[in-house]
Amino acid sequence: MSLRSLFPKPTRDIAFPLAGSVLLFGFLVGGGLLYQVILGSGTAERLVTTMLIDAIIVIGIQIYIGNTGILSFGHVGFGAIAGYVFAVSAIAPEDKIKRIPKAPFGLTDVQVSPGVAILLAVAFTVVAAMILGVGLARSGAESGAVAATVITLALLFVTHEVAKSWSELTGGNRGGLSFGIGESLDGRVLIFVVLFLALVVARLYGQSRSGRLAVAAREDNLAARAVGINPLVQQMVALVISVVVVSVGSALRVWEIGSILPDRFFFDYTMLTLVMLIVGGRNSVTGAVLGVVVMTASRELTRRLGQEGFEVFGIGLDEEPLDWIFRENLNNVVLGLSMVAFMIWRPGGILGDWELDEWLYRTFGRGNEEEPERLPELDVIPDAQFTASGIGVAFGGFQALHNAGLSAASGEVVGIIGPNGAGKTTFVNVITGMVQPDSGSFAIDDLDLSATPAHALARAGLVRTFQNLRLFGALTVRENVETAALVAREHRADRVVRDPDALIAEAGLWELRDRRASELDYGNSRRLELARAAAMAPSFMLLDEPTSGMSNSESLTMIEQVRHMAATVGAGVIVIDHDLGFITGISDRIYVFDQGQVIAEGTPTEVQADPRVQAAYLGSAAVT
Amino acid sequence: MLEVTGVTTKYGAISALRDAGLSVGAGEVVGLIGPNGAGKTTLLGSIAGLLRPDTGTVTFDGNDITNVAPEKILRAGLALVPEHRRIFTDMTVEENLKIGGVTVKASERAALLEEMADLFPVLKKKWDVPAGYMSGGEAQQLAIARALMSKPKLLMMDEPSLGLAPILVDLVFDLIEQLRDQGRTILVVEQNATRMLQAADRAYVLRSGEVVASGTGAELLARTDLFDTFVAG
Amino acid sequence: MTQLLQNIIDGLGRGSIYALLALGVAVVFGIMHLLNFAHGELITIPGYLTYWAFNHGWNWWTVVPLILVSAVGSSLLIERIAFSRVRGAKDFTMLLTSFGVHFIVSALFLLYVSASVKSIQRPGWAADTVALGSLRIEIFDLLVIGVTIVTLLATTWLLQRTMFGLSLRAAASDFEAARLMGVNSDSVIRGAFALSGFLAGIAGIFWLMRAGSVTPTAGIDPMLKGVLAALIGGLGSLRGAVVGGLVLGLAEVLLRAWLPEGIQNLTTGFVFVLIALLFIFKPGGLLAVPQVERV
Repeated sequence: MSLRSLFPKPTRDIAFPLAGSVLLFGFLVGGGLLYQVILGSGTAERLVTTMLIDAIIVIGIQIYIGNTGILSFGHVGFGAIAGYVFAVSAIAPEDKIKRIPKAPFGLTDVQVSPGVAILLAVAFTVVAAMILGVGLARSGAESGAVAATVITLALLFVTHEVAKSWSELTGGNRGGLSFGIGESLDGRVLIFVVLFLALVVARLYGQSRSGRLAVAAREDNLAARAVGINPLVQQMVALVISVVVVSVGSALRVWEIGSILPDRFFFDYTMLTLVMLIVGGRNSVTGAVLGVVVMTASRELTRRLGQEGFEVFGIGLDEEPLDWIFRENLNNVVLGLSMVAFMIWRPGGILGDWELDEWLYRTFGRGNEEEPERLPELDVIPDAQFTASGIGVAFGGFQALHNAGLSAASGEVVGIIGPNGAGKTTFVNVITGMVQPDSGSFAIDDLDLSATPAHALARAGLVRTFQNLRLFGALTVRENVETAALVAREHRADRVVRDPDALIAEAGLWELRDRRASELDYGNSRRLELARAAAMAPSFMLLDEPTSGMSNSESLTMIEQVRHMAATVGAGVIVIDHDLGFITGISDRIYVFDQGQVIAEGTPTEVQADPRVQAAYLGSAAVT
Repeated sequence: MLEVTGVTTKYGAISALRDAGLSVGAGEVVGLIGPNGAGKTTLLGSIAGLLRPDTGTVTFDGNDITNVAPEKILRAGLALVPEHRRIFTDMTVEENLKIGGVTVKASERAALLEEMADLFPVLKKKWDVPAGYMSGGEAQQLAIARALMSKPKLLMMDEPSLGLAPILVDLVFDLIEQLRDQGRTILVVEQNATRMLQAADRAYVLRSGEVVASGTGAELLARTDLFDTFVAG
Repeated sequence: MTQLLQNIIDGLGRGSIYALLALGVAVVFGIMHLLNFAHGELITIPGYLTYWAFNHGWNWWTVVPLILVSAVGSSLLIERIAFSRVRGAKDFTMLLTSFGVHFIVSALFLLYVSASVKSIQRPGWAADTVALGSLRIEIFDLLVIGVTIVTLLATTWLLQRTMFGLSLRAAASDFEAARLMGVNSDSVIRGAFALSGFLAGIAGIFWLMRAGSVTPTAGIDPMLKGVLAALIGGLGSLRGAVVGGLVLGLAEVLLRAWLPEGIQNLTTGFVFVLIALLFIFKPGGLLAVPQVERV
């Protein structure tokens, strides 16, 4: 086994992300300082400081939204929680007496150092996030991503309401809470440190196992589960990490401004941070950083146009005709328009999902890669026996499956054929955990697998491909296969886990390894799905119409590819297809389904000669 | 009446069509058979406006209807009974039929409803029942009746016998005969090739997106290599 | 007991408005899978027009049709300008588009009218109560409940007895199949937005009467109530939206009455706790429409 593709790749997953973080940090801070120097004014300094803190928070939000694909309006609400915890803990008693003399739990007299206050803020917010995370997971599973988003919106609203109403603790909407004179954050060293750490955390997480699995689930939830990923776990991890970053950033924001009010962590700030994320490109940290810079510049420009008239960098413009456009609060309109415009014309943002250090790695860090050698077939195939029996499924009044079953041994190829609507795909859905049967059971050897969720079945060795082709579209060919291997290394360690690069080469996709999966043509897409399934080191590969859409000659080459791929990982194969040439060529045994039942079983020769099978395919003649 | 020439359609996982073509004359029953994954549904979808062909033309009554929206194709006189029926499960039988007749004048619609009730006694019995409670056979009849409500010049059916027990398959083909006797023009995609060839005037055999054979129903039935045609490489 | 009954009526009064808002949200969601965060603007825009109208000598009799017409008009305009361009896009895209529209409209009002609260004269009879036995009931509540019942009946009639209503339901059930029947996709979508606007208009009349004012961000509250109520009832179910609205209204009032004096102003927070508990036990909402996962 070649050393080259050992996981994790320290260069790709640690060194280059660190380098990328340094560059992005330099871009933000360097650009900001340069601007300050050019303008030389105090407002410029404030602008840059604000930008850097906004960057921390936006990076935190990107960690969640970018990696899970779930739209969250709630992160600014988390920021509110962190901000208030920080303020209440860190502000001196003499300053709290004025605003919240009767704070509950005796908090008026309490004060801790800012460092401890930040830790408290993070702790409280993380707990809130975990509770919310459970709610998101449960309702998201039932009602979809829209429900999850509404719940985050509700969080934003609740924190705002509570902040306004619980004035004994928060100072309400009138005065809020303020640090005493000279107590607010001085200097920017802390901000620089936190910003750098935020970048590092975001990139290291993005390259980590959990980050990659989350992204796969983002691309296709079902396919992710089919390769053993549990999306809910990864989404929770992303949530907690993102909330930590947002908490620290929010505490800094409060400390820097020197006060906190409910409206500072509500719709306006939510909109600002989301637009920054969207404009740059929500799927990459580089995009988030770019978005922060672009929208800060835009905000500054509109502010100047609105307030100071039309002198921008010494260029004057004729005021009168445009006066009705440029006003003080123009920025909000600009934000809204930017959001809508990008959603209509460029939802991926300026950068799409281009990540700086990934590009650097591909260009400079990787060196020449040779195509891996062909994989040998396994000499000793591990024993495994799959059996399913008595499977029954009814959809409403319609009996889709009745007493269906089959058995397959590792090393065998078992085919499933039958007319449309015969229940073949329903059967595969049952044994891969996507449909609950009303009766029957299935198992590998002694392990009963009925009532097991889809991702656990994949980890137990039942890996499937899909009739409608489900790839992780935004990921490259390589990343698609590597994702499955990541899961296999943890959950299929007792089997031979093949090097993803070798599997890609086996599938004839080596030249295309850095192409996005969504760009592949049809035949290559099918082969990629096959390679990804093999990367899971399955005991059994369940292929649902792998030749659908292929020409006859392509289908026949698939026979050898499937056989060989299965043999390199020692998996048995259960394959549904309509192409009889393909099925009879590849199968050791064939099951024939019709009307939800198994009507025949045997070798290809036996089955082809069976009049019942011919009738099922061609249709029976009229009775009269 | 209907001319399809040189249609190539690519659509995700459903088979591509490669240069497919067919024609249907007034009053004919034309069958489209072939193994699954051959592209039969893709072809109907390309005619009905659900899919956009990459190349080729579809002409109906002399008018070019390639790449036209489905609701406009219906108004041109082509009705589709889709695969898996796709009846509106929360709506009653009557409401489903009414929607089928949404393009028809209100006064005519009432008369058509009565006509359907007579033609499909089973539907009359379940007039106010939500369509989701119907059995497979009943649902198929509802889907066909719903399509007929628009007074189509050409009726297209996608796998009407799908998932039905043999006795209901008889029912479906009896219905097709009845409709033909009424003078309707019908294009049917079927996987039950034998029954289809018995019922059809002419038929086309589709495999891997291409038309590999065509002729009258009797001619194709007489071919001993039909099974091989479905299979052979 | 008397107090409880009065609270229930009060809760139903609020809940009726929420039900109308939720129904408006649900109608659009059912057709386009779009959750309209700009739904509240269908009250804000008429609100500012009402303010203008009152300053020009109009009264509530003439203002009511103004509110209805402007709500429907705004809804159609927003669909035309923004939502028509993201049809069929991913949920993420549509959610952010609607949020963006909400933001643009409230920002425009902030920019070109003012941030300050514009007051709207409440109708004279708004605070009047009527006695029913030992109960003192606000006429306002009775009117709201009554109008809501009539509106719901009319909407039910529309959805079940007219071809337009059937087209809407068919499109919500299976958009493509509806088109195959000849239902025009543009018409049915615009119809849904018009209906949604009308429902928002009725809710808006009472919302404005009760609030007595309008601000640029006045739309946030009704939007949130509508969206949450639709979620509580079960996204995708029209009946669920109505039930969700009533439940939300009752919960608000009853909770406020039941909470001890000191923390009554945290009612909203507790309502959300209840909602959260609901989702733990019934994650799909009260009248959940089961989502079949398509493999």
